[in-house]
Amino acid sequence: MIARRDVYQAIADPTRRTIIDMIAAQPQNVNAIAEKFDVTRQAISLHLKVLTEAGLVTVTKKGRDHFCEAQLDQLCEVSAWVDQYRQHWERKIDALETYLEKLKKEKYGNQNDGY
Amino acid sequence: METKMMDTKDRELLMTRKLNAPVALVWEAWSNSAHIASWWGPNDFTTTISKMDLRPGGEWNLVMHGPDGTDYDNKSIFREVVPLKKIVYEHLSYPSFLTTVEFEDLGEQTLLKWHMLFESAEVFLQVVKTYKADKGLEQNVEKLEVYLSKMK
Repeated sequence: MIARRDVYQAIADPTRRTIIDMIAAQPQNVNAIAEKFDVTRQAISLHLKVLTEAGLVTVTKKGRDHFCEAQLDQLCEVSAWVDQYRQHWERKIDALETYLEKLKKEKYGNQNDGY
Repeated sequence: METKMMDTKDRELLMTRKLNAPVALVWEAWSNSAHIASWWGPNDFTTTISKMDLRPGGEWNLVMHGPDGTDYDNKSIFREVVPLKKIVYEHLSYPSFLTTVEFEDLGEQTLLKWHMLFESAEVFLQVVKTYKADKGLEQNVEKLEVYLSKMK
């Protein structure tokens, strides 16, 4: 199996994230994208290549135009990983919750409600 | 531009929880090092707090001891401390992030807002990715252990 380029690597760059934002709502021509940046057309092409290889962008040729379309499904992988990391912290709050119950018992005895 | 408004969206985590305890008790569990050591680490970890100087500029040093004997040093500095309301601290060890914990008094309950802001989306992604890699590794080790026990 050929290793696909890493989605993380692809979105780690601010320019590439901006490109995804730009084409998230509707596909855009490569030239239109390049015009919005202060870098060379080649640099943008290179960014698009990384995004394409990561499966985040597909490019469709229409006559002389190259339309770039965002494939946002790929980003779900990232958000699933973020969720996993969030759960790591949620578990800390779970532990705090459990500890508070213990503290309450120590302080107020077992009368949970009537206090 | 839209990105300005959502400036921190790609490098933050926000967790909220309604806790079934009055704010004074939640504050105590958070601000007293003897208490915090009892719940801070992951389940199979223990925590030693060598310093917890709860005031702006004060240091907070803790070591989490992993089940395999590995120690994880955590150094932080408190940036803002408002008793019964708010604690802001900056985690100085890698990965660097700013945590804001807010406590809202709801009588017998407390609304806890736990916000973590990483220095950049790059760092945040790296952390998430490393965590995922660690998780994967953990699961692999577990699988290996199960496998080995079957071989015996």
